[in-house]
Amino acid sequence: MATPKTRFGKIWSKAGAVLSVAAIGFVLFPIFLADNPWPVEARDYLAAMGQAETGAVNLVSSIYLGYRIFDTLGETIVLLVAVLGTMSILSRVESLVDDSPADDAGKSGADKAGDALKKSGGFSLSREKRHSHTLRTDLLEAVTGKIGPVILIFGFYVMLFGHVSPGGGFQGGVIVASAIVFLTLGNPGAGTLLSNTRVLSTLETAAFLLMLLLSSSGLLFGQGFFGNPMAGAENPEVYIIILNAVVGLKVGASLGFLCITMMGGHK
Amino acid sequence: MISLLLILIICAAVYTLSSSNLLHGVIAMSFVSLLSALIFYILQAPDVAITEAAVGAGVSTVIYVWALRYTKRSDDGDS
Repeated sequence: MATPKTRFGKIWSKAGAVLSVAAIGFVLFPIFLADNPWPVEARDYLAAMGQAETGAVNLVSSIYLGYRIFDTLGETIVLLVAVLGTMSILSRVESLVDDSPADDAGKSGADKAGDALKKSGGFSLSREKRHSHTLRTDLLEAVTGKIGPVILIFGFYVMLFGHVSPGGGFQGGVIVASAIVFLTLGNPGAGTLLSNTRVLSTLETAAFLLMLLLSSSGLLFGQGFFGNPMAGAENPEVYIIILNAVVGLKVGASLGFLCITMMGGHK
Repeated sequence: MISLLLILIICAAVYTLSSSNLLHGVIAMSFVSLLSALIFYILQAPDVAITEAAVGAGVSTVIYVWALRYTKRSDDGDS
């Protein structure tokens, strides 16, 4: 919180707080006063037609993978940009950390970087482990290592059954990401295949490519961009399931990648 | 019930902004996410509740705590 030391600054910050609360109230007051009925057209249309048109029992997934799929495409692109930005910031921070203790001039840059990382505990999970960090106990490793696969299965369940039950690609993807973090924490040393950032980034880019291919697959069947190629077929929900799986893989891989990079396991 | 939860959310949010210890602020923020997930569940939006609990209370808290671990605490003048 901003706590300026001078009295004048204090008065100003208080005045700013009061002013912002007043502005929010001014904006929200008409909403409380209004007694317009809620718009029901879209709701009624979805309730009547949503399942027949997309095949998804869970209407939420029929909306975000059917009627509003351009939003979903935009969200996945936002996620990609977020990962890119975090990576660029983190690589800059790592280089700053490496440069700080420049007392031993004889060594090469790589050696110095390694020394600096070892001294500061660095950004590296595996190095932390070797220094017997007090917070990293056997209990943590046993629990996270055992519970990780279970959470992974639950994430895939939420992802793949998003069309019939609450859940879907984004929710399942986040659960998969936390499972990846658990697996990384619970397996000392090299970790699992999923803790390898190279595998994760490959998975993410492959999922994004697959999503673009799926989006244009409707073109071949005369349904337009992001049209459901199985719209007239017996079970159109297959398209929703595939899209859920792809979105979930992408979200899980990118969020797991972010967390592992922040823990310092980036190779 | 819902107004009680909303009042609790406002209290936790004010505490998040005003606490001088950043870790306490992060915990209060994850409490806000947890309570809003509960509200979403009461309002029959389990999808949103799952997302809010997983992202707000889980991943973002973990990321904030990691960021706090790798930054120093200093208190000289403003900020």
